Amino acid sequence: MTALTRRDFGKYALGGLTASVLAQPAATVNRSMINGVQFGLQPFCYHDLPMTRENRPTLVKRLVQNGFGMVELHATWCEPRFDAPGVSAEVAREKLRNWRVTTPAAYYRSIKKEFDDAGVTIFTYWVGINESYTDAEIDATYQAAKALGAKGAVGSQGLAVSQRLVPFTAKHGIFTGLHNHDNLSDPDALSNEASFDKGLAYSPNFKATLDVRHFTAGNGDCIGFLERHHQRVSSVHLGDRRKNNGRSAPFGEGDAPIIEILRLIRDNRWPIIALLEFEHGTLRTGVEEVQLMFDYCKRALA
Amino acid sequence: MKAVCTAILITGSLWAQSAGTPGYDINYIGPRMADPILQHSKEMYVLYGCSYCHGLYLESRGEATDLMHSRLVGRDENANLIGPLLRAGIPQTAKLSPMPQFSDLSDQQISAIATWIHYARQQGRYKELIEGRDVSSGNAAEGKAYFEKNCTSCHTSPADLKREDGTLRTRILRPKFLDAAESWQVDRLRDTKTAAARHRHLALLENYSADDVANLIAYLSVK
Repeated sequence: MTALTRRDFGKYALGGLTASVLAQPAATVNRSMINGVQFGLQPFCYHDLPMTRENRPTLVKRLVQNGFGMVELHATWCEPRFDAPGVSAEVAREKLRNWRVTTPAAYYRSIKKEFDDAGVTIFTYWVGINESYTDAEIDATYQAAKALGAKGAVGSQGLAVSQRLVPFTAKHGIFTGLHNHDNLSDPDALSNEASFDKGLAYSPNFKATLDVRHFTAGNGDCIGFLERHHQRVSSVHLGDRRKNNGRSAPFGEGDAPIIEILRLIRDNRWPIIALLEFEHGTLRTGVEEVQLMFDYCKRALA
Repeated sequence: MKAVCTAILITGSLWAQSAGTPGYDINYIGPRMADPILQHSKEMYVLYGCSYCHGLYLESRGEATDLMHSRLVGRDENANLIGPLLRAGIPQTAKLSPMPQFSDLSDQQISAIATWIHYARQQGRYKELIEGRDVSSGNAAEGKAYFEKNCTSCHTSPADLKREDGTLRTRILRPKFLDAAESWQVDRLRDTKTAAARHRHLALLENYSADDVANLIAYLSVK
């Protein structure tokens, strides 16, 4: 039998698109548990759908349409926007801060219900905590994550900000996810294995959200990282990029070992969530492209 | 028969889902443009992921460079600056994520991406300058200096440009000949004068400041 190359693999996935897009999956929480690997989506992938709370109902429909039972929900799907013509950045920021610290947990619980009703579990809450956050705002953000039912609050904050989060993650009993990019020159950034070593040492409640696209682009060894750190990895952001700060690419056309990662998770029964996230360009709709990439992953586990 | 019906249903649903064209997201990319070269350029810009960070119409977003107002884009000619930058990428800085390198793209693909960036920038800058500030307070002396530095290689005298009918801003930003379709007839391919004029005016459009336009209007208006 001739072995499939990864490029061939993608072609076969393309052929399966039509039927998959139209299949209406059963509304169960684990509709995206595929052969022992729990999949979810970072809905940033729907590039054609602005991430606003007004678009949240459409997001829920799309998740179901693409067969996902789990999501990493970015805060912008829940929060209002205060930036507008004539409103300074400082004023908009202050309004958002006030909104965050005064919004009751019931608001987030109602959002959780929207997803629950559709059979979609909110695995993590993506938040962009940075130096501008007050302690009260950080506390409110973790409360929001908890009210959404999320297991953790995830972000691309650097090491200095991550240290600030230690007491909050302990207080609220949910983990903090450290997400990497491929900025290897900034000693504060999460990027390579050494930076994860530093960040994970801050708190036992910290977990790695390993972005395999960026880790690959930074010439990191995803398989080796998972071998050594799988107990501290909550999820992988699964997508493809080329090495040497290369561009994003459709699954199978870059250097990220996507198939190997999925089989590693499956065969070792690691409870690591595979969250599809990509930013390669496409002329297709977001739903079509997500389905193509998801089908690629399903074939990896067949 | 059942299979045929299923196929028809599947095809129909996909068409409906993608607003009429399977594999082409009309809601995001927009209706196909009349000019196939521009359409191709736009598609390359989307296909290689440029639009997700830099905006399909160069809307400024996040930490990605604002291509609508980038000086480098304004100085670029036929991808002579954009091309090498795309191929090499932008290295990491202490506070910004790097831009990926696109070293595997062909010259044609690089050219197409640059073509879209310039076209979108021209449209955007025109809109900004047309809808921008009041242009009645320009400085005629500075307008004269600008004219002599940038326009006299073609317009030897400002006299034939002077107007009093309020159309100067449009005429400066977008002379009518710019909107004429480019011809690929062999006998017109060597019309270097028109091509050069088009190139020059589009480059100016990408780089005018609101002050430049106000000053030119002050200089060229017949009082």
